[in-house]
Amino acid sequence: MADAVFLALSVITIGSAIAALELRSLVYGSIALMGTLGGVAGFFLLLDSPFVAMFQVAVYIGSIAVLILFTVMLVKRELIFKKIEDKRRKFAGIGLMLVLMVGLGAVVLDSGIKEITTDEPPVDFREIGTDFLTYYWPALILMALILSGAVTGALVLARRVDEENGQRVK
Amino acid sequence: MSIIAPKFKLSEFIKSILDNIFWILLILTLIGLPAIQFILFYIEMPVINGELLTPFLALTWLADPSRSIPIIKAFMTTDLFRIAAFPGFGFAALIAAGTIFVERKMLAKLQLRVGPFYCGKVEGILQLMGDGLKLISKEIIIPAKADKPLFWAAPVLFVATAAAFVALIPVAPGWVVADIDVGLLAVFAVIGFFPVITILSAWSANSKFPFIGGIRALYQMVSFEIPLILSLLGVVILTGTLNLSEIAASQSSFPWIIFLPVGAIVFFITMLAELERIPFDLPEAESEIVAGWLTEFSGMMYGLVQLGTYLKLYAFAALFVVLFLGGWNGPMLWPPFPEEIITEGIELGPVTAQFPGLPILTQEMINGTLWFVLKTVGVIFFILLPRGVFPRIRVDLLLDLGWKKLIGLAFVNIFIALGLLYAGILGPGGIF
Repeated sequence: MADAVFLALSVITIGSAIAALELRSLVYGSIALMGTLGGVAGFFLLLDSPFVAMFQVAVYIGSIAVLILFTVMLVKRELIFKKIEDKRRKFAGIGLMLVLMVGLGAVVLDSGIKEITTDEPPVDFREIGTDFLTYYWPALILMALILSGAVTGALVLARRVDEENGQRVK
Repeated sequence: MSIIAPKFKLSEFIKSILDNIFWILLILTLIGLPAIQFILFYIEMPVINGELLTPFLALTWLADPSRSIPIIKAFMTTDLFRIAAFPGFGFAALIAAGTIFVERKMLAKLQLRVGPFYCGKVEGILQLMGDGLKLISKEIIIPAKADKPLFWAAPVLFVATAAAFVALIPVAPGWVVADIDVGLLAVFAVIGFFPVITILSAWSANSKFPFIGGIRALYQMVSFEIPLILSLLGVVILTGTLNLSEIAASQSSFPWIIFLPVGAIVFFITMLAELERIPFDLPEAESEIVAGWLTEFSGMMYGLVQLGTYLKLYAFAALFVVLFLGGWNGPMLWPPFPEEIITEGIELGPVTAQFPGLPILTQEMINGTLWFVLKTVGVIFFILLPRGVFPRIRVDLLLDLGWKKLIGLAFVNIFIALGLLYAGILGPGGIF
């Protein structure tokens, strides 16, 4: 059962990733990207971590994919990129991908993934939270600072100069 | 003389009924009785409990409540029943239909109109059925340059997402379709799908008004999702769980709205914005952009989107009830099932009927559902009310409200919850 689900998820994830790259229609490409991200969420579910899976769906499909759609729809397509139909580039890209995949696969296979016991209970997300607040607290503080810096920067960039008391003056 | 059937005569009506009865009897005699004879003669029937199963015995069993009640009870625990009927789709669709009718009637009363009146004689009670028939029988028109696959898929996806949202809501103790540990996160994940579907359907129609409406819906929903998520974190901090059933069960002595009124207000306002209801109905502003992102939908496609919208309304109201108003908790109103029916059975003159397996539903379940529905209907009333009272808000004021005021208030709510937690008053290890 789990093997069949894994295979189906792999087909969905890789297939829609290829579709996201290859489709000429940008909107369908971003829908395919959503399929890829949803497939990754499915892998997390399969790995007994629904917490991460739900965040994957909420953040990546709910926000990032929406952002991409928004951008694609508001920007004229010709302005983003010029069509370069070049066979050599394509094959070079595929070759680079294969090299990367083989290299990463070798690293993953060498990391002792074969000795992992599979029947252990899933990690409770409360333990993850406790770890974050005790052992890994500097990382948490760092992340919070980076995120609040980003939000403040966005607010500063989005502030209108010609506005006073909520009314445009110019 | 009726307009619909001008040649109606009572005598012909009675004659047609008698005709039907005659034909049914004739067919039963000619086909039904020989079929029973055939079964009796040629097919070897099984022996159950020492009795030969004849067709007569089978019919007796079907009519015998002591044998059918356990079957009904077993059916009610299946996943199919939960998804299709009670805590799932059917129940929610019933409440959604009621909401549509009440909304139309109540708005009419608020604006000194009559509202639906003729359909069904009594206050237009059958108006909804008539509207549904009209929507089903109407032709579905697709714009010539629309992106057809997406345009067809959007209403179905919308209803499916709303139904997935409904499936996460616990109605009574143990009565929930999907009781998952990270229920609230799943709610956030499901809510995130609505803007995607909206913008895709708006884009696929390839028309001005839907696209403007879709873009408005997108930024409205995305910017109000942040205060929505933040306003619910206070409850999570105090209960220490993300499971919606556990959150509802934790409010047996008091609802969280007593301690977190700020969060409840923020959640209610964001709920109005997520549902695109007045005063936040910019995506569907019918006086500016026809019907917003719904403009190009016709026939049952529009009907599906409408169904999805009201399912979403029910789900949001139910989420408010579960998180802030105590869910199914409330004083016991429903009387307990009479004991003597279980022990002695029902006496009807000389006959005493025993019904093993009763009661079908426990007292706690019926009482919980009663309280849940009462509270949900109350919240739905308060969602409907602004439509008769407020005008539409301006775009910049909307974004100002969402990004500045509501997020600030949501943080205030989180600090209230943290204060209560660290003071040791509430939460895990608190006084209450």
